[in-house]
Amino acid sequence: MTNRERCINLLHFKPVDRMPAVHFGYWPELLDEWVRLGKIPAELAIGNYDGSEKERELDKLLGWDFNYYRTYGSANHLIPGFETKVLEVLPDGSRRVQNADGVIERVKPGVTSIPSEDDYLLKDRESFEKYYKPKMQFFSERVDVEFYKKFNDIRPYDVPVGLHLGSVMGNIRNITTVIGMSYLIYDEDEELFADIVDTYAEMQYKCAEAILQTGAKFDFAHYWEDICFKNGPLLSPDLFDGLCAKHYKKRNELCHKYGIDIISLDCDGVTDKLLPTWVETGVNTMFPIEVGVWGDQFEPARKKFGKNVLGVGGMDKTALRIDKAAVDKEVERMKRLASLGGFIPCPDHRLMPGTKFELVQYYTEEIKKIKI
Amino acid sequence: MSILTEISENLQKGKAKIVKELVMQAVEQGYAPEEILSKGLLDGMNIIGEKFKANEVYVPEVLVAARAMNVGSQVLKPYLEQAGVKAVGRVCIGTVQGDLHDIGKNLVKMMMEGKGLEVIDLGTDVAPETFIQTAIEQNCQIICCSALLTTTMGVMGEVVKKAEEAGIRDKVKIMIGGAPVDEAFCRQIGADCYTPDAASAADAAAAFCAAN
Repeated sequence: MTNRERCINLLHFKPVDRMPAVHFGYWPELLDEWVRLGKIPAELAIGNYDGSEKERELDKLLGWDFNYYRTYGSANHLIPGFETKVLEVLPDGSRRVQNADGVIERVKPGVTSIPSEDDYLLKDRESFEKYYKPKMQFFSERVDVEFYKKFNDIRPYDVPVGLHLGSVMGNIRNITTVIGMSYLIYDEDEELFADIVDTYAEMQYKCAEAILQTGAKFDFAHYWEDICFKNGPLLSPDLFDGLCAKHYKKRNELCHKYGIDIISLDCDGVTDKLLPTWVETGVNTMFPIEVGVWGDQFEPARKKFGKNVLGVGGMDKTALRIDKAAVDKEVERMKRLASLGGFIPCPDHRLMPGTKFELVQYYTEEIKKIKI
Repeated sequence: MSILTEISENLQKGKAKIVKELVMQAVEQGYAPEEILSKGLLDGMNIIGEKFKANEVYVPEVLVAARAMNVGSQVLKPYLEQAGVKAVGRVCIGTVQGDLHDIGKNLVKMMMEGKGLEVIDLGTDVAPETFIQTAIEQNCQIICCSALLTTTMGVMGEVVKKAEEAGIRDKVKIMIGGAPVDEAFCRQIGADCYTPDAASAADAAAAFCAAN
């Protein structure tokens, strides 16, 4: 079986020859660390991104079958973006930078990961109408139609590939910041926040539609949200449902129309309170189920929604920084989750600095031994 | 409905402008500043804190309530000083070195202020030495450390070590919080208290200050 067949079968509760060893990429800092430690040659750390040749070379050294996160999408962000510029250099070397979303971030040399937000431009209806709404409109150049017309001839068939659907709320949270989102919801007229969500969502729907209309075939579709944190959602589930459910439904129905029945969603944090909205509108796969940092869990979702919820992820990647015993414990847990069906073990996010090269090799060997 | 209840209720709804006006009215009507603080502003924040812990309200509701509390507190501040009302305790708080994220830290700060604590905000990317120096110079009873990144949580252990080296470990409680930390990590580094959310952190800090 190919890894594509294995994954598709697993997510449809069908038999496979063995469990694939899949991952969700690496933080660049980890690759630099492995170069410093002499684990990998320096050239493998350069140009190593999701689905790249370098990544596939590294995957072989570690025993991975492939990076599950292989998606194709459109230019469904703000266009034209805001000018990216340094507004201020602070005494400690950090900088205040305006990014393409109009958010002012604090950036410190050597620190990557999640951005730290200082201020934002989308503060009221005037700034929305004048600066943001024009950048959220659909136009044909957002989709590379010629590429997608050839897609079925050039796409890989040994691994599953996904259509990236964008987000419904995550992008809005990105451009308003958590604080700005909160103030917008409460300070402005009730329709403004809904207008922002609707405008952005409509453009993203049209992008997905334009791709699918080319005839391009995908094995799954995928959303990115990041709208939860350690204690649950960043806004009330009722409000989220009221603002977002119709957009998920519309985009998911589009996917169904084109034969895509695996629709995954990547959301940081503890997601249980938003799952009803997602599942009821057709999102059926949790990915990457961040157990280690956020305490998210797959089993309760399966218990609640039955086979309407599938999973890819859920392996506490921090075990790969500790020792074999910690890895064994996670492998045992993965065996139990795999036995539920409709579940593919995968580290619960990108592998981070401190991850031990030999423990990854050990994990990939063990995970392939899981009997289904 | 009393004006103090109105202050509390409007604060819970995040109505900053109304809270400001009501606090001014309460002062003009002769209410004691301490009473306006405790039965109006702090009452409202306490209720929001409890609802936040119970998942009845979410981050946006806490943020707008805290903003309303800040506006009301600014109006009340000179009257509180004039009346000699003191904070129930003093805390220094910051996001640890190498970490620039502050939403969680700010939520904890707001909740602690909502308990009547004085909070010295050291900002983000705070060196262990700065926590210790501030605690000594400002007589803080509590040092509160926040981290979002797994790569920076280790700095919290450095804060504990520096407090021991400075000879203040028995005089100051060290609290930790943030996405990657938990009770086990708290015990591992020898800190005093981990809480899973901002409202619980404020409860723990207020309880500690009340007991001392």
